This record gives sequence, C-alpha cells and structure tokens, in this order.
Amino acid sequence: MAESFLLSFQLNGEPVEVAAPPHYTLLEVLRYKLDLIGSKQGCDKGDCGACTVQIDRRPVLSCITLGVHVQGREVVTVEGLTRPGMHPLHDCFDKWVAAQCGFCTPGILMAAEAYLSAVGRKVTRGEVAEALASNLCRCTGYTKIVDAIVEASELMAAEDEGKDDHRRAGNPSKTS
Amino acid sequence: MLRLPRFGVVTPQTVEDVVAAINQPGARIIAGGTDLLPNLKHRLEQPALLVSLSQVEALRQVGRDDRAGVVRIGAGVTLTEISENHLVRQLYPSLARAAGIVASPSIRNMATIGGNINLDTRCRYVNQSEFWRSAIGGCLKSEGTLCHVVKGGRNCVAAMSSDCVPVLTTLDATVVLVGPAGERRVAIAEYYNTDGVRHINKEPGEFMTEVQIPVPKGPRRSAYAKWTVRKNIDFPLVSVAMRFDLDADSPDARMTDVRVCVGVLNAKPRLIRRTESLAGKRLSDRATVEALCQLVYKQSKPLENVPYEAPYRRKMIPVYTRRAIEKMLAS
Amino acid sequence: MGDFKKKSDGRDEAAESHWQLGKAHRKVDAVDRMRGIARYTDDIKLPGLLHGKIKRSPHPHARIVAIDVGKAEAMEGVHAVVTGRDFPVPYGVIPWTPDENALCVDKVCFVGDGVAAVAAIDEDTAIAACDAIEVEYELLPAYFDPEAALAPDAVQINPYAKKGNLSKHVKLEFGPVDQALEEADIVIKDDYFFEGTTHTAIEPHCAVANVETSGVLTVWSATQVSHYLHRELAKVLGMPAHRIRVIQPPLGGAFGGKSEPFDLEFCVAKLALMTGRPVKILYTREEVFYSHRGRHPMKMHYKTGFRRDGTITGVAAETIIDGGAYSSFGLVTTYYSGQLLTAPYVFPTYRFDSRRAYTNKPACGPKRGHGSVQPRFAIECQLDKAAVQLGMDPIELRRRNNLGADGVTVNEMKVGSNGFLECLERVEAASGWQDRRAELPYGRGLGIAGSTYISGTNYCVYPNEMPQAAVQITLDRSGRARVFSGANDIGQGSNTMLAVIASEELGLDLSDIRVLSADSDLCPIDLGAYSSRITLMVGNACLEAARGLRDKICASVARRWSIPAKRVTLTGRKALDMEDPERQISLTEAFVMAESDHGLLTAVGNYDTPKDRHGSYRGGTIGASPAYSFTAHVAEVEVDAETGIVTVTNVWVAHDCGKALSPRIVEGQMEGSVYMGFAEAIMEQHIVDAEHNGVHTGPSLLDYRIPTFQDTPDIHSLIVEHPDAQGPYGAKEAGEGPLHPIIPAISNAIYDAVGVRMNATPFSPPRVLDALESRRTLEADGAIAPHKDHPLAVPEVA
Repeated sequence: MAESFLLSFQLNGEPVEVAAPPHYTLLEVLRYKLDLIGSKQGCDKGDCGACTVQIDRRPVLSCITLGVHVQGREVVTVEGLTRPGMHPLHDCFDKWVAAQCGFCTPGILMAAEAYLSAVGRKVTRGEVAEALASNLCRCTGYTKIVDAIVEASELMAAEDEGKDDHRRAGNPSKTS
Repeated sequence: MLRLPRFGVVTPQTVEDVVAAINQPGARIIAGGTDLLPNLKHRLEQPALLVSLSQVEALRQVGRDDRAGVVRIGAGVTLTEISENHLVRQLYPSLARAAGIVASPSIRNMATIGGNINLDTRCRYVNQSEFWRSAIGGCLKSEGTLCHVVKGGRNCVAAMSSDCVPVLTTLDATVVLVGPAGERRVAIAEYYNTDGVRHINKEPGEFMTEVQIPVPKGPRRSAYAKWTVRKNIDFPLVSVAMRFDLDADSPDARMTDVRVCVGVLNAKPRLIRRTESLAGKRLSDRATVEALCQLVYKQSKPLENVPYEAPYRRKMIPVYTRRAIEKMLAS
Repeated sequence: MGDFKKKSDGRDEAAESHWQLGKAHRKVDAVDRMRGIARYTDDIKLPGLLHGKIKRSPHPHARIVAIDVGKAEAMEGVHAVVTGRDFPVPYGVIPWTPDENALCVDKVCFVGDGVAAVAAIDEDTAIAACDAIEVEYELLPAYFDPEAALAPDAVQINPYAKKGNLSKHVKLEFGPVDQALEEADIVIKDDYFFEGTTHTAIEPHCAVANVETSGVLTVWSATQVSHYLHRELAKVLGMPAHRIRVIQPPLGGAFGGKSEPFDLEFCVAKLALMTGRPVKILYTREEVFYSHRGRHPMKMHYKTGFRRDGTITGVAAETIIDGGAYSSFGLVTTYYSGQLLTAPYVFPTYRFDSRRAYTNKPACGPKRGHGSVQPRFAIECQLDKAAVQLGMDPIELRRRNNLGADGVTVNEMKVGSNGFLECLERVEAASGWQDRRAELPYGRGLGIAGSTYISGTNYCVYPNEMPQAAVQITLDRSGRARVFSGANDIGQGSNTMLAVIASEELGLDLSDIRVLSADSDLCPIDLGAYSSRITLMVGNACLEAARGLRDKICASVARRWSIPAKRVTLTGRKALDMEDPERQISLTEAFVMAESDHGLLTAVGNYDTPKDRHGSYRGGTIGASPAYSFTAHVAEVEVDAETGIVTVTNVWVAHDCGKALSPRIVEGQMEGSVYMGFAEAIMEQHIVDAEHNGVHTGPSLLDYRIPTFQDTPDIHSLIVEHPDAQGPYGAKEAGEGPLHPIIPAISNAIYDAVGVRMNATPFSPPRVLDALESRRTLEADGAIAPHKDHPLAVPEVA
C-alpha cells in the first residue's frame, strides 16, 4: 500500500502541510483532511464545476486534480474569499439572490473571482457566460448569477482603481 | 463519491527522472489528469504508480527553433496557455482555436497538450463506471470480448476524441518521445493506429516530451470545425481540421497544398485522401469548396461509438467543413 | 371573491404601506452557503463515522436466488452488511401503493436497483465489501416499453403489483365529448411524445444516521419531505416515530427528485442501529440517475374540437405513461396527466384516459410540474395548430377560451384569482409579438403558450384531520424572533418567505429573525416541499402566528399609551401610534412590555385547506388546490435549417403568482423554471438502452447534457399579481407553474420559424432535420406551399 504524501502548499494565503493518501484528489484533501467543506462534490468527475478552486489564480476542478499536484502551489478555495465586510462577489450574489440552493455557488464564485481579477474591468453578460462555462447551475437559469457577476465586476474594477490611486498617492516617485 | 483506485505517486523534477520512474512496473504518466482521472475512477486502468509531470518545468515551454524550422511545444503546456500563446496564435491559428475550445475553461486550465495528444479513445460503452460496464458484460476495450458498436467486430472502434490531434495532423506535427533507448521522433500522422484499445504507437517506457510543428514556409489559411450539443464541456461530435497552403497571401490565391483531417470517427484520425486534386484551384471558388466537402463526406463514416446519432454526425461533417472555410475566408 | 380589490395595474392597493412585502430581499440563509460555511448533509462529520455503500443490480429484471454476504462481512473494516431481508416491510410515499422495499427482497426490477448495503470504516473498504457480496440471479424478461409491458402475457415486474404491469388506470369523462367533437367545425388530432427527463440537482442525495444512547435515531437527509421520510422510516424500521428524529440540513437542489424516501436513508438508519455508530451514504452521480423519480415519458393522443371562432368544444386524450419499476407518486401522476389540464381554457367537454405501466427502468415520479408538463405540451400545440387552421392569432385564440377568475373548470375545480389574460398581454407586449412576428424572416419565429398550476394540493397524501401546515413563532426581550417550521427549504427560499411574513407583521428586520426549519424535534410538522404548497400553506400558518403575536404586542403598548390597540403599528423596528407617529418606541421596548404582560411570547398558526373546492366524483379531490397560478410564455427561436439546430434566443415569461412577497425570489423561480423546461425541450433525455440490457444511456453530467451558461436563452421575467383570497397577502405559487409553457412555446416558435411541427421532445437537431425533410417532400410534391415564401432547398451534400 502506497504511503501518505506530505503535501505543503499555500492555502488561502497561509502555508499548510497535510498528509494525504496519494490517491486522494485535491477535493478529498480539502474536504476530508482539512475540513474545508466549501468546495462541493457534484458529479464525481469534472463535469459540473461545483468543486472549482483556484490553483495559481486559475480556476480548476479539484475533483479531478490529484492532491499531490498542488505541491508548492497556491490554492484558493471559497473559504479564501473572505475579507472584512463582504467580498463584492458575495455582496452582489446576495443582493441578486444569485444563490438558490447554493451548492454550485462556491465553485461559481471561484471561477468568477479568477476571471474578474484577471480582466480587471466591467464585463458583459456574454463574457460572463463564456468565462463561467465550466460551471453548471440547476436552480437559477443563470440569469441572476450573470446579473451579480456583471455588477461585481464594476465594484471590483472600481476597487482596483482605488488601489492604484492609493499606490500613486502614497508613492509618487514610482508614478509613470 | 466516486473514488480513485489506490496507487502511488511520484513527482520527478526532470525528464530523466520521469523516464526512470515510468520504467517501474505498473507505472503510468499523469499530466493534467482531466482524461486519466475520470478513467481511473471508472477503473478503466489500475496503474500501481502514477508519474506526475506537475513538477517538470522543462515540459512547460513554448519556443521557436529557427534552426530546425519548428515551434516546439512542451508536453506539459496547458491548453489555455496554447490558446493564449502569441506564437501559436500567429503561426497556427487553427491550433489556438482548437485548444481554446476544448471542453470548458477550467478543463483547459488543467489539461495539457501532451494529454490531449495522448487522450484515450472514447466510446459510449467504455466511458462508464465498472458497475455499468458489468451490466453489458464489458467490451473489447474493457472487461469483455464483444464490440457493442460494430456487431461481431473484432477491432475496437472507440473514437479518437482529441480536438488538437486533427489540427496537428494537418500541420504535419511531429511528436518527440523519450525512453530508455533515448529520443525518437514520430510524425503525428504515424502516431495512431486503428486499434481503439491501444491506438497510440508508443513503446512501453516511452513518454512524449514535446510536439514540434514546422513553421509555415508561405501563405497559409487554416481552420478547425467542431460541433457539440452544448457549447461547452462536451467532447467533439464533429471535428474537422483544415490547412490550405496558398501561392499568395490573398483571398483569391491558388492552393498549393491541402490537408484535411477528421476526428471522432474511429481510433485513428482520418487524413482525407486525394486532396491533391484541389491543388491549383481557388478557395474563393464555391465549386472547389463543394468538391472538398464531398471528398470529406465520402471518406468520413462516423460510428455509433460516441453518444450521438452517427447518421446525423455524418451529414454534418461537410456542413461544418464548409462553414469553417467560409468563416476562415471572411476573417 | 377571488380577486382582491386591485388598481388598474393589478397591484394590491396596500402595497405602498408594506414594510417588507414586495421588497428586493436578501435571503436569510444565503451568505453562509456562499462562504462555504453552511453544512449540507455530506458536510456532516461525526466521531466514529462509518461509510456506507449500496450494491446494485446489473440486471434489469431478475429473481434473486441467493445472496452471500459472508466474504464482505469477514473483511477487515466492515462493520455491518444488510440485504432486503432486513427490510421486509414495503413502503411507498403514497400510502395506497407501498410497492418497494428499502433493498430488493426477492427480485430486482431495473439496472441499478439496490440489493445490499455495507457500513465500513471508509468508502474504499465499503466499495470493496460491496464487490465481495455475491448475488445469484435468475434472469427474467425485461420490458422497456410501456405498451410491451402491458401486453397480456408479459411477466409481472413489480412484486406488489395488483394488475400485471398496469400501475394505475384513470378514465374520467366530463360531458358528451364525442358529440362535441363531432359537432366541432374543426378537429385537431395528433400524437405527442414527451421524453423522460430527470431533476439533476447539483447536490447528490446523501444521508447520515446516528443513534443516541437513549436509543433515539437521528437521520439527516438531503430530502424535501422530512415528514414523509419520518413516517416511512418508522414503518420500515418498525420503530415508533417518537424514537426517530429527522433533520434536513441545507439542501443543494431537489426539483421533486428528493420528494420521497430512498434506499440510502433506510440503509444508514439500519446500519447505524446495528453498529451503534454513525453511518453516512452519499450517492455517486450515477446512483442519482438510478434513484431518478423524474419526468414520466408519456405517449399522448389528443383530439380537440374547435368552433370557427376559435373556442374549444371538447378535448379527448389518451395517454400511456411509462412509470419505471415502482409507483412513487404514480397514482397521483396518472390523475394529474388529465386533471390539471382544465384551465386556463374552458373545456366544455373533456375526457382523459391515462394508463401508467411498470417497466424495467428507474422509477419515474414528480419532477417540477408533476404530471402536467407533458399534457400541457400536447394541448398548447393543439391550440397552435387550430389557430393556424383557423387563420387566427394564437394569442387571440387563447383569449377567446379564457376561463377567467372565480371560474369552475369542467372537472369541478374551483379557480379563484386568475391573471391569465394579463399574462398574455404582458408577454405579447414585451416580445413585440404584434409587430415582430409577421416580419421575422424564415428561420426565426415566435411561439406562445399558457398554463396553470396548483398552489399545493387540498389533501395530504395520507388522509387525516390535522392541519396541513403549522408554524410557531417566539420572541423575547432581546428583540429577536424565532420562526419554527417543518417546511423544507430546498433552495427555493421558503425560509426567507417565512421571515418576510414574520417581519412584515412584527416590524422586525429580516436579520432579527432566525428561521429554524425541517428538524422534527424542534419544529411543527409540515408535509414538505412538493406541489408548490409552501408559500400558500406554510405562509398562511406563519401569518396567523405572526398576527397573534402582533396583537399581543400592540395591546401591551396600547395599554401603556392608553389608546386603542388598533392605533398601534409595528414597522421599521418600532412600535408607533398611527395617529401620532411621533409617539414611538423601539420594538425591543415593546417586546419587554408584552413579555411583562404575558410571559414568554409565543404564538402558533395553523393552516388547513378549504374542503369545498373539488370535484364530487371519485378522484375529484386530486388536482384540487386552494389557488391556481397562471403563466404565459413567448419563446423566440432561430432554426438553422441546414443543421436542424434550434437556438432559443429569448423567453418572455409572465406569471401570476397572486402577490410577489419577495419579487427577486419569485423571478428566480420563474427563470429557473424556464431554464429547466427549455432544457427538456431542446436536449435532455433520461433513457435506457433497450438493446443493451436496459442500462441507462449515460448516467453522468457529461452524457446527460444539461445546458451551460452559454446554452441558456435570455429570460425576461414579468411578474403578474392577481391576489387570491386563499393565499397569504394573496400569494400563490411560483416554483413550478412557470415551467409548463416553455416546451410548447418553443415547439410553436419552431413552426413559426420554419413551418415544421415538433410533436416529440427533445427537439434535437436530427429530429428537426427529419421534419424539414418531410416538409421538403411535401413542398416538392406541391402538397403545401413554401413556409414564409422560402422554398426548402435540396441539400448540397448527401
């Protein structure tokens, strides 16, 4: 019998070390070994997106990712989306009632956060649909999810601008 | 949860260490895992040891080698990276296109070009759980002795379902294999055979390190036509790659060389024959395009291997071929 | 009677004065789900937890000769093994048809039927133990077609069936329908087929059981009917209900797919009782497809008579229903296939003859729009065909048949409020029907359809004299309130609905209220989340409880202010004097006054259905509801005549929900309904492979294709409010009705686009191409003129 692996990686901004059997998927490592239950198991094999997490800022499907694959990498799960107050995505999903049963929501949030962070601007409904195409939702008809992500993209872009302004203001010598 | 079978995993850092590792008994390469892990969950293979490429940085490069006249793409480059790579987009737009529409965005972030080239064949009677297969007594590719697609068939016709392979075939790509005996290169058109059980001509102990694509020598147009029921997630049901070398960089140029390759028929991608008859003709000529579509149609006979009606798939192959050409010419 | 006094725009006059009703609420339980904190059933961990697995039959129909569990029991890490012999008592969610066992006893009836279960230290061991169980089968002939199963010489499938493979037969006739058809100016006759589809909630079924030292068994389950599960657990386990506690944790979608007990719940309970340790079973996605209970495939033959003015003279329907291996709600389904069709249009005469057959397939049951989505597809296509034949606008034809408010249907159902005409008007205007429809070129089209649905059923599945719903509310000097309800929030937002009602009456903010639901130890009994009953029934109970408390609080404040109680109102977290609004105190102060007067502040509310609204014939209670919702859809499609691909670009959905207590949640129900029905129209099919031993053709979310973000049309929700006297503040259902019209609306739009009738779902590209090919032949023969002056070309290849 193969022995457990000692995995070390960055998880939601903190270093973590965990021993897990080599045949555990990342989803099983998160849920069974770390009790991070936010990432959900929906389809068993990469067909639904409920298990979506970010590895090195890209959304991936943790149910078909080996745990050992994240050795030395940066993993962010829905539990990492917290901040003082509410994350704009949480706030907009809540406002639009974009989560009905909420089971697909953590995965959708991780895909959406990766996408919005990467583009850093207001996005269109069509762009959201394309970027979120790995994630299935059975409750909403996607309508309110798109509403929420489009609004969150504005808020996040405004935040980014605010940060840039702050950086410029705080360190004028590096403005260029 | 559908569980993986038990296995060991090693994560070598170098190509040499990978070769050493896969020459252990029961060893098997894993790259992105998007094809292999569902298959393992379905118990289609039960390797004792998985050799992960996740730590081999050398396999993650894309670069132009002008001396050899090729672009080299490491086996570990993800499909997202290929679809976004400026060199690929500039020189091989059909490859950027194909890689950029595989399955879904999250899958493409994980899946590698090496994995897509070595994707196992697929069939509605194979890609099911062990329990499901037991209800039909298995098949040639799994636990049984019968083919459920071709009654009485003795050759497995599971379908080559990669989006990138037909494209790479039209681009005359070469795969580089490394094994205990060193490195060897195989033209991608020679890399596959018609046995759906083992459709890749690779020796045990070898693994693919990169794919090399010749830099185009003259004006060229290329396209990839694909149809799936849903816009995302699904494997291709119609898959046709095309490359047209031209005598001038204009919409009205004459073709000097034509390659068309069709996927998802049986285990081997089908390079369409007699396309040389089109040399000297113009793509802007509607009759020429129709003649090409007829060639493709006559030589492409989908089977009931993947989950969609084969007669419909056959009818659609020339339709999507023609549409892809029209779109290509319009852009 | 039915309609409250309304303004011209259909809104309740009092709307402006509402403190909470009609606002865009945030849900009371969404944030924890979004943050990954809420524990769904599979997220429950208990010390010593064992993992269970169920061994399933690889045969569609076989007698169990022997089961040898010896090797499995002997395996290290295996704690217990059970088989059907451990569950001899049959159950069924409908008490009249208990025809399944927790695990198969003497025979298996479909590929995937459960035969044994194990509990082990981990999942891998449990799987290995299942593999080690040896079952000897004697194969029996299997039937995958309901008509083949109904043949006189067919082998009986269900072990408890009373009449061969006939699961249920309902034939009801209202008026001289044959005569009405004979006297009609035109009669439309056609055959329809609705393919089976399944719910596909993203959360797979899961259950956990634990036994307290006192012997009380707790079962946590992803169920939408805690109470029926509670009853059946008691029956099958032979334990009194007071020794069992059922808890429904946050639930990841249901849609009818979790609305009866399943094998895993009985198995975890039994295995926990045997081992003394907590046990969990989580279905694989494949097992979810086997548990099914989804949309019944129906073969329908319809004859509909019309006068030249477009009015219906009579409807005659014959329906064969493919039930799968067990009854589930099939008795009700068979009635619903006819009973729910008699509005929004007047049927002067009507007959339906529906037979449900057992087949060797996963059992069908209630999927969103239970039993009535299929016949609705047929009748709405019939109306469209009549409109074409009569040269009439199909919306106008529907208007001319409108039943209206306070109507009585041909089958004696009493309809109260009815906003159907407004629904038609709203979708007609929003879609630009009048201007655009005539101008859309070949390949593009608009289609209309309407429907009605029940807001709960007047009778519980088991006869009793107790209320259908009950709610308890307590509050205290802290200024917080607790609402206790047995209702199952399955994502549809019923917990929020209860908080909205409580806050509306008590003046509290939603965040001041904790809704505790679906725990049989803590909450009053409720029947569960099915037949769109919760807003109306549990909402009414909650309203009664909240008003009881409000009266006490207002009286205590009024006494101290020496004014009549009716001058005190509770709103905005304050109690105030309506005639002197400057006089106000915080609600917390008001609660202190009331608690000083009464002690603990608590009130209960009960709701029972009116018993005078159903038919006086046998079966006349089935389909009777306190109130009916109404819906109209316009679908816009683009049909690619070369590929047969139908793209649904836009759907306008107008739904009369009586009163939208929380409009954004109502819109979400409308959008989700449209999505689910659209998927059934275009791509979904839950079928078995008759050529290959009856295996499911693709029990995964890869092969059972459900639409992604990019496949889904733009959905435009239009809420219509015709308050009903039976509903809380006039509210009716919104969760299932809005699904019905989309399938016929798309079919009718396809006709408008390219001139072919799609009478069988799904409207897949090969089927559309086949239909176009048939039309091409007719055009070539000169039998029909080109549609929209667009002659069908001969294909270039083939």
